[in-house]
Amino acid sequence: MAAAFIAGCLAVLWETRDIPPGTFEPLGSAPVPQGVAALIIALCLAVIAPALRRPAEVAPDPGYTPRPLDAAMVAGLTIAYVAMMQARLLDFAPLTALFLFVTIAFLTRLRLRAMPTAALVAVVTGWGCQYVFTRVFVVDLPGL
Amino acid sequence: MFDALFGALANLAQPLPFALILLGTVLGIVVGAIPGLSGAMLIALTLPLTFYMEPVNAIVLLIGMYVGSITGGLITATMLRMPGTPSNVVTTFDGHPMAESGRPGRALGLGISASFVGGLVSWVVLLFLAKPLSVWATRFGPFEYFTLIMMAMVLIASVSQGSMVKGLIAGFLGMLVSMPGVDPSAGQPRMTWDWYMLNGGLKLLPVLIGVFAVSQIIGDMVAIGKTIKRVESSMTGLFMSLKDWRDQAFNLIRSSLIGTFVGILPGIGASIGSILAYTSAKNMSRTPEKFGKGSEEGIVASEAANNATVGGALIPLIAMGIPGSVIDAILIGALMIHSLQPGPTLFITNPEVVWAMIASCLVATIMMYGVMMGAVRYVAMVMYIPRVYLLPVILVFCIVGAFALDNTMFDVWVMLIFGVVGFAMEKAGFPLGPFVIGFVLAPLMESKLRTGLMMTNGSLEPMFTRPLPIIFLIIAVILLIMPFFRSWRERQFRGRAAATTDETAE
Repeated sequence: MAAAFIAGCLAVLWETRDIPPGTFEPLGSAPVPQGVAALIIALCLAVIAPALRRPAEVAPDPGYTPRPLDAAMVAGLTIAYVAMMQARLLDFAPLTALFLFVTIAFLTRLRLRAMPTAALVAVVTGWGCQYVFTRVFVVDLPGL
Repeated sequence: MFDALFGALANLAQPLPFALILLGTVLGIVVGAIPGLSGAMLIALTLPLTFYMEPVNAIVLLIGMYVGSITGGLITATMLRMPGTPSNVVTTFDGHPMAESGRPGRALGLGISASFVGGLVSWVVLLFLAKPLSVWATRFGPFEYFTLIMMAMVLIASVSQGSMVKGLIAGFLGMLVSMPGVDPSAGQPRMTWDWYMLNGGLKLLPVLIGVFAVSQIIGDMVAIGKTIKRVESSMTGLFMSLKDWRDQAFNLIRSSLIGTFVGILPGIGASIGSILAYTSAKNMSRTPEKFGKGSEEGIVASEAANNATVGGALIPLIAMGIPGSVIDAILIGALMIHSLQPGPTLFITNPEVVWAMIASCLVATIMMYGVMMGAVRYVAMVMYIPRVYLLPVILVFCIVGAFALDNTMFDVWVMLIFGVVGFAMEKAGFPLGPFVIGFVLAPLMESKLRTGLMMTNGSLEPMFTRPLPIIFLIIAVILLIMPFFRSWRERQFRGRAAATTDETAE
């Protein structure tokens, strides 16, 4: 993580290298982000150096089986949902209902007994959100 | 002062503000009682819905949520040994053992009453301290502000979970993330990588929802296999007797004052307040051996202190525009969304908002006590809502919330990216509190520094010659050095102890 921060900060230093100095004030736009980026790099190096010398600590047993693949799958579904919303392939309500149904079905491992509840939650949230956000809060939800 | 306060209280008695503050308090309690959902998440998610409200109504709703969520976490901390919010961690030490021993009602009753007293004590301090402090803060020049924010950043990093260096990195990272876009001081675009969408910078709301809500959802998805055991929930002994009040009076007041003081310190949340009050109660107790095994004093100390931080943390927010906690950083965002400038002049420019904040803190505390005492048995049931249904629905709310800000999908992508960044940061031990506070404070810090430099033709001299900046700088340096000094002393102590053991063995 610290290495990723260093890479990001180097990108900031590169991007701000050509910003001209201030004309009406002494500091200009570049020194503050450059200074902060340099500080982050120095601090990240201070984190990385001892970590290289010490072996990584084994995380304690959390008492349950973590499901990172499920989280990754839901992240993928979310990205697909947002991309479809941006492309305006479907109206907000049906698209949201579809996303919710698929996600809940996946998280419940397609357990048949959970499907009616999943469908109910999906439909109520999809059309309920559309109604509340467009009629009460006047949000222009993405859709066809 | 009292005229303005009674005016604000009378306004809160109107149907709409009253309904909003009640709704906020109940939602806060419910969300606080659901493991994995926090008050910061609820408030960040509600923020987009408040665009369409009057500023006063928006603020009272959010403060109701703030007060409710801090208390709601007590339920899961006691019943499941799973703190509903980070501020309730210490309550698990004694609340859960007491609940396990068949007295959940007693444990919850003590916690609720202590939360109520903590809230009231900090409110009194808020009432009497906010205005004088804001009058004093109007004398601050740019260098005073710059060094105060610097001190706050160091303070936040030094008390954040894990290592101080990681806290500092998180804080600076938050500052850096706030900098892309057209620089307001010079009108110069920076860190935009020639991408026009970045000209307006990264907005507070998508970053907040991403860092607090989406990252939490990702974490909860990973831990979705975690099962919640149902526990017996008899609620006998909920009300404290007169003797209980008398026995706990000193502990209640001391813990509330500790919580209030910790809340006033910029950036330090309720968790630290409850830890300090708990330690102090244990040190002063006649029965310290009971702590950790269901001690009544332990529950009272923890809960009085964490609720007291709410009022305490509102003091620097109202008086100086500096957030006392992460949720206060979000409240600053709420004020800015409604075109209000937080800081010492808020008392002059928008006194109705300030007094509404102060009055709603009191009303929400009273409502919290009523709701918790009357409905804790039913609120406790929300702990068992299956997360497979809840999390995807919250995710949809996050997406709509980020979109509603400017009706642009760019903000939704920003939110998703910061969700992943927040999750990865937490996993790697980088605290999120300093990140958000850095993000909120950086524009103010930079503008003050640049204004100061313009006034002095580029000289930093006033920072080292004026009394307040030098005091803030010295405190910042001490805070920076202290952890290293402490670890050096520990090493010395351990070395001496080892040498003594060797000599004894010989």
